[in-house]
Amino acid sequence: MRRLTKRQRIAATVLCVLALSFLVLDLAGTGLRSAHGGVRGTLGALYRGTDAAVGPVREFFAGVPTAGSNRAKLENLRHENAVLRGQLAAAHADATTSSELTRLQLAATSGGHRILPARVIALGPGEGFDWTVTVDVGTKDGVVVGQTVTDGAGLVGRVLHADPATAVVLLAADPGSGVGVRDLRTGQVGVATGEGLHGFEFAPIDSTAVIKVGDQLSTGPVGSTSYVAGLPVGVVSAVRVSADGSTRATVRPVVSPTSLDLLGVIDTASTTNSTSRAALQPAPGGAPR
Amino acid sequence: MTRSRVAAGAAVIVTSLLLQATLIGPLTMPAAVSLPAVVVAAVALVDGPATGMSFGFSMGLIADLGSSHPAGILALTWLGLGVLCGKAVDRRSVLGDAVTAGLLCAAASVVAEILLAIVHTSGANVGHALLYAVAAALGDFILALAVVPVARLLLHSERLQAPHPVITELRFKASHV
Repeated sequence: MRRLTKRQRIAATVLCVLALSFLVLDLAGTGLRSAHGGVRGTLGALYRGTDAAVGPVREFFAGVPTAGSNRAKLENLRHENAVLRGQLAAAHADATTSSELTRLQLAATSGGHRILPARVIALGPGEGFDWTVTVDVGTKDGVVVGQTVTDGAGLVGRVLHADPATAVVLLAADPGSGVGVRDLRTGQVGVATGEGLHGFEFAPIDSTAVIKVGDQLSTGPVGSTSYVAGLPVGVVSAVRVSADGSTRATVRPVVSPTSLDLLGVIDTASTTNSTSRAALQPAPGGAPR
Repeated sequence: MTRSRVAAGAAVIVTSLLLQATLIGPLTMPAAVSLPAVVVAAVALVDGPATGMSFGFSMGLIADLGSSHPAGILALTWLGLGVLCGKAVDRRSVLGDAVTAGLLCAAASVVAEILLAIVHTSGANVGHALLYAVAAALGDFILALAVVPVARLLLHSERLQAPHPVITELRFKASHV
């Protein structure tokens, strides 16, 4: 260890006393306030300039220790986001199902029917027809061929074939299938023929009957149709009169055949309502869609 | 003392204080790694206690006046740092000087914290300083590995050499004979 010379010891002592004097002066009063302010102001201005230059460098080095953990954190957040999106979609599906079940329950109560809930598990052609869906209930659940199927808002179709665990439903919109319907405004009956996505074409038995746009059609009359009477079928959207004077109407369906999910098979054997009044009233969402 | 040494000293003081405030301090929080202290130590280790104490006092006083704590704390602390480093000169290896600088700078930061606590400066926390003393020593050591060679290069250059290096050197050798 190197020893201090006498001059160095004196210098060190003087500087120590000077530092202590500054300390006492600063602690005792406001003598150094302006000196503090001046140096702080000068350094502050320099800090701003320096920070602009070295700021990016500082941020780069500050990010180095957490670079790996940030990547892991990002992956975790991505995974969490995907899970939450899945849960959100499931919640949305649950809400839709709940809404449909409520509608079916309401329909069953108002129509006096026992309705067996059924979920569509397959779509597509089958049984020689183009417009069918397969539902997840069958003869084990009490489904029999010919039962009417509804979505709670209107007519969907009828059971074409029933297996123990599944059943094939012929949609009323199937081109080639006909539904006996009644014009609720005039009471005129006729046949609504399926037109696929375009709904139905209504031909009244009385070819001179006056049909108006906006007329509501429902299944019926009782005993004259293979469907449960009183189910909304659609609303007349266009009327045309042929050269021979016969009237035809285009019907916008109450039930969209392409958006079926939760359906109800109407158990006619337990039906308590044998009148021809609307089977489903009031049915939320019963307006044409 | 030449004008060149004074100008270089002032430039080094300002630069190290700016880098400490904008780069080293934010990056090494909460450890009290101090570039100005390392620079004082490096200068003292190269140029001896006389330069070390005056440089440490000057650097400390400007740092004191630029901050909110009472002036004199860092001046006193870094003055002592300069003296101790000046006395510990070995001039053999950069690594040895860096170790000395790291240890003494960390000790200086603890001493400064104690002095600040004595004068009841808000924010002073001796326990905190002791807790991070090892980390501070390590940071100071790493800084010293870069600063000491630069200090050796500059202070041995023709324009920045001490006015009477031969006499200083002879005295140094004589005290070790």
